[in-house]
Amino acid sequence: MLKEDLIKKNPLRVLNPLSVETLPDHRMGLVMARAGLGKTAILVQIAMDSMLRNQKVLHVSIGEGLEKAKAWYEDIYKYIAEGFQLDNAPEIESELMRNRMIMTFKEAAFSRPKLEERLNDLVYQNIFRPDIVLVDGYDFAEADYDSIMDLKEMMAAMNVQGWFSALRHREDKRVSAAGVPAPCHEVDGLFDTVILLQPEKDSILLNIIKDEYDGAAGKILNLDPSTMMIMEA
Amino acid sequence: MKANLDKLRNIGISAHIDSGKTTLTERILFYTQRIHAIHEVRGKDGVGAKMDSMELEKERGITIQSAATYCNWKGHAINIIDTPGHVDFTIEVERALRVLDGAVLILCSVGGVQSQSITVNRQMTRYKVPRIVFINKCDRTGANPYRVAQQVRDKLDLNAVLMQIPIGLEGDLKGVVDLVSMKAIYYEGANGEVVREEDIPAELLEEAEAKREELLDAASMFSEELMEAILEGTPTDEMILKAIRTGTLSLELVPVFMGSAYKNKGVQAMLDAVTEYLPTPKDIKNTALNLKKEEEEFPISPDPNEPLIALAFKLEDGRYGQLTYIRIYQGTLKKGDTIINSRDDKKVKVGRLVRMHSDEMEDIEEAKAGDIIALFGIDCASGDTFTSPDISVSMSSMHVPEPVISLAILPVDNKAQVNMSKALNRFTKEDPTFRTYVDHETNETIISGMGELHLEVYIERMKREYKAEVQVGQPQVAYRETITQRADFNYTHKKQTGGSGQFGRVAGYMEPMDEGEYEFVDQIVGGAIPREFISSCDKGFQKSLAKGSLAGAPITGVRVAINDGSSHAVDSSDVAFQLAAVGAFKEGYQKAKPVILEPIMKVAVEGPSEFQGAVMGSLNQRRGMIIGTIEEANYTSVEAEVPLSEMFGYSTVLRSLTQGKAEFTMEFATYKQVPKSVSEEIIKKFQEEKQKS
Repeated sequence: MLKEDLIKKNPLRVLNPLSVETLPDHRMGLVMARAGLGKTAILVQIAMDSMLRNQKVLHVSIGEGLEKAKAWYEDIYKYIAEGFQLDNAPEIESELMRNRMIMTFKEAAFSRPKLEERLNDLVYQNIFRPDIVLVDGYDFAEADYDSIMDLKEMMAAMNVQGWFSALRHREDKRVSAAGVPAPCHEVDGLFDTVILLQPEKDSILLNIIKDEYDGAAGKILNLDPSTMMIMEA
Repeated sequence: MKANLDKLRNIGISAHIDSGKTTLTERILFYTQRIHAIHEVRGKDGVGAKMDSMELEKERGITIQSAATYCNWKGHAINIIDTPGHVDFTIEVERALRVLDGAVLILCSVGGVQSQSITVNRQMTRYKVPRIVFINKCDRTGANPYRVAQQVRDKLDLNAVLMQIPIGLEGDLKGVVDLVSMKAIYYEGANGEVVREEDIPAELLEEAEAKREELLDAASMFSEELMEAILEGTPTDEMILKAIRTGTLSLELVPVFMGSAYKNKGVQAMLDAVTEYLPTPKDIKNTALNLKKEEEEFPISPDPNEPLIALAFKLEDGRYGQLTYIRIYQGTLKKGDTIINSRDDKKVKVGRLVRMHSDEMEDIEEAKAGDIIALFGIDCASGDTFTSPDISVSMSSMHVPEPVISLAILPVDNKAQVNMSKALNRFTKEDPTFRTYVDHETNETIISGMGELHLEVYIERMKREYKAEVQVGQPQVAYRETITQRADFNYTHKKQTGGSGQFGRVAGYMEPMDEGEYEFVDQIVGGAIPREFISSCDKGFQKSLAKGSLAGAPITGVRVAINDGSSHAVDSSDVAFQLAAVGAFKEGYQKAKPVILEPIMKVAVEGPSEFQGAVMGSLNQRRGMIIGTIEEANYTSVEAEVPLSEMFGYSTVLRSLTQGKAEFTMEFATYKQVPKSVSEEIIKKFQEEKQKS
């Protein structure tokens, strides 16, 4: 299969249709799930889809090491390359990884000014100009509305899309009017797209509970629990 | 002598350069009474530390080859391999780790976990080596063992548990508090040989109790007995030791000790820890490959009565011939035994068996499973497996990286020429990452290896040990060439004027191959090329691989198939078909869109966060691809892939960019195609040089 076909066939087209040219740069997305259901896998697949379309992705990992983040990309790429019998897999991989940079922060070392400073280092020296910033491991339980608003404003000012992952807890039953569970129930207004991962008997459902742009709200995709790859439902 | 395997430890001492491991080894040898005076690495007495037996190591104050030695400590026999700390010598480190059962990771209490410690730690993880940490140099200004222990958790991702806390720090370092026995330990006497136990000083009691709590918490995860005892308030020292040992052996816990080898503090407690927490040969599962059953996994048991399995992990040119360091994994090796080298099935008779103490030796009659000893007068290469004649197994091969840098050397006179050959012959046998060959066009001897320092050290060794003075050329990056598409060829070699004629036609195609360097496929049917000349074609193609037409670099990743040709009853010959194949290759190669590949290094730069922007800029300027950054507190590490050709002189640039506060390491990662603009430059340079010669 060719790279172009792969882009077209990606189930993520539900969220990022190829035909829509008017997507705002500063879309804010959120992937929520309980521990171990595949939040990082979803973020990495969103990243990979963007990278395949020649967009630059900055993957910010909070509390996890560089090797771990790298391993996610290697694994997901392996599944894609093998599953879709991609032609020239090694060449495409090395080309793709040029579109990605990983930044890891200790929990205590992450803040908006720090991220902004690092982003400016990259942009001003023309080292890397991201189109999408993924933030994996951000602690929503500890964050308040203003600090997330702050990050949103920064991303809007830099013209980048932002995607976050959030950990939800089984025992916390609070839900917003739009159906977004805690700990993000009070900040759901800051996100344009919210995806909830829900375990089912044999698979994990990707429930798009909110989507301001593509009308994808209410659509459901599947996640193969053994490979964590997104599939059509 | 060794009583049994429970009392035997094979350990390595690994660390970042200059964190004091040779000094520490020197103290170990002193306290275990293997030596009777202490000499510093860069000592004023000019004797040098015992483990740095090579003259050059003494002068530079760095350890190049891992010297093996053994000693006794409180009824335990300990074999110690001192391993180099510089990344250019990682093959030595990897080899040492392969034969060891446990290791002591030395960290500097000021510098903490530095990049090389991360590399060494990764290697230890690869070979599943249980380890303990010794935080050295606690007498230095700025010493902070707590910070270093935290870094072990954060940067090395190890479950580090403090076993001690310091009594005083920097200039006031007096000793340590043992958190298991809850005693203060002081080291006195001229060389710290008098160990005095006291009650914990009142001002440290609260802290000691708090840290002991943490220790018990961590240890109790590995022992239900201990967990229950803690709840009942009755944990014993034995229970704690046992739980820590279980955790250490399972690689899930790393006990942390501290002191100052230079100031003779804390070394004996660390030796106790080696015997208490590091594994015996019985605790480690080793396997070999069964050569009779398609390399099926072959379990090894450290039983002296089983057939012999031993691995040669290091060679040295001693005064009396080649000295081969071996680790015996199974069985018993006796003087006079006949053993088999499983690489070539050659029989070898064991002459002298010796136990090594750095460069001194002690003759022994036999050695048993678990032991590390040396053999005399055995011709073999590093990494060879020896077995009893009745079994056929090989220890799995070690990961050997390809050399990435080369330079030309020219002996200054005839005597140097002879000595240089001797030296090169020895070095290539000792170190699989060091290679040498003669470039037939320039007649220069080329040496290649893993980095600038790696080659520098061998040139120095040639001078000192072999009296071979050589002139050295500029370092060259080891480029490669490969093809990117399939191409056909059909070439006729014809020389039929005067004398005996030559005729051969070779047709077929070549195509890129993802794995492997070269493959020859014979698809000839109906005798278009007579059978006797098929191998001539193969030879001709192989000759062509030595030098590509773009940069004169070796060609890799090519599959060549022949499917047609023609011959002449009289004029066809081996030479004619070889030349036809060379011509055919040339023809196909041009059409197959050849490209130049260059070695890409994995570079890690560490330094204060304020310099992160500058560091990333400098790597970006060098055609580097930044993989990522790791940021914690005010310290950042930048990881990138950078072409080796851009890295010459980087240490100077980095120093001036960061006021000397950042440092970097690099290791070979992969070969990648060079960008077009760079490729054009390389080709131009090659053409100019070709015209000159």
